Amino acid sequence: MNVARLAVRPSAVARTVEAAYSRAGLQPSDSSLPSVSSHVHRLPAHLSSRCSPFSTSAPAFCAKTDPSSPASANADQSNTPNSDRYSSALRQNKEWAAQTAREHPDLFPTLATGQQPQILWLGCSDSRCPETTLLGLKPGDVFVHRNIANIMHPGDLSSGAVIEYAVQHLRVNHVVVCGHTFCGGVAAAMGNKQLGILDPWLLPLRLVRERNLALLQSLSEEEAALKLVELNVREGLDVVKQKGAVLNAIQERGLQVHGLIYDVASGVLRELDTQDSEETIKSRLTAFAVRD
Amino acid sequence: MDPAAPADSCETSHDVHKSLETIFKNNREWALDKARADPVFFEKLADGQAPNYLYIGCSDSRVPANEIMGLEAGEVFVHRNIANLVPNLDLNVMSVINYAVRHLHVKHIIVCGHYNCGGVKAALTPADLGILNPWLRNIRDVYRLHEKELDQIADESARYNRLIELNVEESCRNVIKTAAFQQSYLEHGYPMVHGLVFDLRDGLLKDLKFDFEGTLEDVKKIYSLS
Repeated sequence: MNVARLAVRPSAVARTVEAAYSRAGLQPSDSSLPSVSSHVHRLPAHLSSRCSPFSTSAPAFCAKTDPSSPASANADQSNTPNSDRYSSALRQNKEWAAQTAREHPDLFPTLATGQQPQILWLGCSDSRCPETTLLGLKPGDVFVHRNIANIMHPGDLSSGAVIEYAVQHLRVNHVVVCGHTFCGGVAAAMGNKQLGILDPWLLPLRLVRERNLALLQSLSEEEAALKLVELNVREGLDVVKQKGAVLNAIQERGLQVHGLIYDVASGVLRELDTQDSEETIKSRLTAFAVRD
Repeated sequence: MDPAAPADSCETSHDVHKSLETIFKNNREWALDKARADPVFFEKLADGQAPNYLYIGCSDSRVPANEIMGLEAGEVFVHRNIANLVPNLDLNVMSVINYAVRHLHVKHIIVCGHYNCGGVKAALTPADLGILNPWLRNIRDVYRLHEKELDQIADESARYNRLIELNVEESCRNVIKTAAFQQSYLEHGYPMVHGLVFDLRDGLLKDLKFDFEGTLEDVKKIYSLS
């Protein structure tokens, strides 16, 4: 991971926008561009005043809030009207279905009979982290839950139901908690902006921040964000391993639980060393193991 | 999801280890391929995300969001839970919608269900599924809201398929009831909300042609937050 890349580089943003224009066959000054950018400037003051709170994932967002920047047109990356872009996704689905059926004639008939995924993926909603794609796997391989900043709340029914179903009913062999570099949720938790409904969601991240305040304050802003990404994955793993279904599956059939970090800047996954000490395992079992 | 057919694990620990190695190998190959095809692919991603779509779909392994829509990394923000639900009290999905609409300014919200959904099937089954019960209760409520229509469908699998579609529409309706959606739509004219169903037998997406503007009008009287 290259922490230096956490910094926003306007030149690179401009390059991306140029590429978007060129894909659409347009010059940046083309007046036929949809006027979406004129709307997105009317943001609440706390959002438009600066790039934060989601700064590490928000260069494009920042650009949108800056009317003087040519990147503001990035709010709508091509000359395609919104509905046409949706239609194009539907068209791409037809192409994908035809191609997949050609390359793997047995795949769809098999999928229709049921799923037997080996992996449960608990990751971030971030568009840059598509699990099945970056794992080089196919439909049917990975059961997936993705939320803001891959946070595992102990009482969250949504992720709780996913974990229960995947471990107990589908009997997956691996549970993966995957964080990633440039995580906007982590950046927000490193800042102190009020974010409405997102605040209670990000609370576990702030708790981790509080518990590791001295360590995080001793690091540069970029290194601290990266550290919090890692600590958040470790915290998520703890929550996963406190669930009765997971503990039982580890004991009874060798279910493995992994912590990964995905580097958005290189596309590469890295596994964290998450080996627990004998003592940790013992206390966890004593406190959390539940049976019928 | 198919609760009737749980996967039977017969892997040895050696196989398990091997399958994880394969994943890291696959990942490196994918990253190399991408970088070869477009040397600045990851550099651009590292500069930030500006996805046009928010996809709310099922956790089912057979319905991977990017693949079925032919979209690349960076193009679609993704939330997946059991049976693509959007429950009012679920902080998880509400945070995703809030972030995608207010901070990423997505232009389309796609709720995608799929036929053969185990979550919907489980909700039609009279069984105590422990902590899954409260989650699946939402689907039973969708049945109750459309009881008349569903009860008139004699064929069981046709009734099941229709409930899957109605469940998608209900999730779309729940998206429309959020303040984030309402404010953004009134101010900017987006995001648009779409309901899709994925068919596992042929890999095709069916557009339910969800009338989100009409629905917005309908729910306004009671649910308007703007």
